[in-house]
Amino acid sequence: MTILAILQVVVLILIVAGSVLAVWLKDLLASVIALAGASLLLALQFYLLQAPDVAIAEAGVGAALTTAIFVLAIRKTQRKEEE
Amino acid sequence: MRRWAVVAAFLIVAGGLLLGGARMRPFGAPRYDLMDRYFNARSQAEVATNNVVTAIVFDYRGYDTLGEATVLFTAVVGVALILRRLKR
Amino acid sequence: MSVVVKTIARILLPVILVFGGYVILHGHLTPGGGFQGGAVAASAVALLLVAFGPGSVKKLKAPFSILEDLGGVAFVLLGFLGIGTTFFFNLLAGSGGLFGAAAPIGPNPGVLNTGGTVPLMNWAVGFKVLGGLGAVMVLFGLFGGDDDR
Repeated sequence: MTILAILQVVVLILIVAGSVLAVWLKDLLASVIALAGASLLLALQFYLLQAPDVAIAEAGVGAALTTAIFVLAIRKTQRKEEE
Repeated sequence: MRRWAVVAAFLIVAGGLLLGGARMRPFGAPRYDLMDRYFNARSQAEVATNNVVTAIVFDYRGYDTLGEATVLFTAVVGVALILRRLKR
Repeated sequence: MSVVVKTIARILLPVILVFGGYVILHGHLTPGGGFQGGAVAASAVALLLVAFGPGSVKKLKAPFSILEDLGGVAFVLLGFLGIGTTFFFNLLAGSGGLFGAAAPIGPNPGVLNTGGTVPLMNWAVGFKVLGGLGAVMVLFGLFGGDDDR
């Protein structure tokens, strides 16, 4: 098992952890930031799988634009999730 | 009852994914690679671009990009219709 | 937003725009292309919107819409350029004119003046994506009054 394969497995586990955190957290702003982190790690995974085009698109759309749209939506509604 | 349904769904999906991952072909060796070899060999001579992905997206498969542009245009029109200001 | 966010946004804004332009301009040589560069440039609009509030981008709504339409029209016209052979035929590649130099075969650092219609289509799609995503962001920010909190 090479160092690259170990790095890929670590990044995949971190993606799953970030996604679970995004569902788990009650503070919606923290949840959005966890989702942005998972998206950024997904871009890193695309780069490790030798698809830099998809990595740039994922980093631009997934990590920047959706995060900004979620932040705007939270700013216009409320920050805490209701029970 | 519902908890068991969730556990069963999780086990089925995870088992299927693990089985598919275990039987996956080695990285970078697809079963059918005729078009891959064609694009890698010919794109520099035919389209004169170093980036083979761009050569495929904008030249060989231009129709797909046209469809993607149409999808984006439709999405923007939909957002503009929903979020337009009805009254001042 | 606070002073820290505004200052960092002022510094980062030209950097993001220049990187988006670089990704579009070198789309036929390095990884990236029209969509990716346009998305990177549109994230600058998102930064502007989050840092300075919707009031700062209110004037950009109509220019972004027009940019989106012009990019789409330019893309289709560039596709019609090679209609003598087929739709989306690369007429300018290797013709010696604009972006018409022949690319060296094999691994090479890349010549900017190659690619035929591909770089022009990159610019068209890049402006289209920048306009489309930017218009979506501005519409989202302006929805329900432009309160700056």
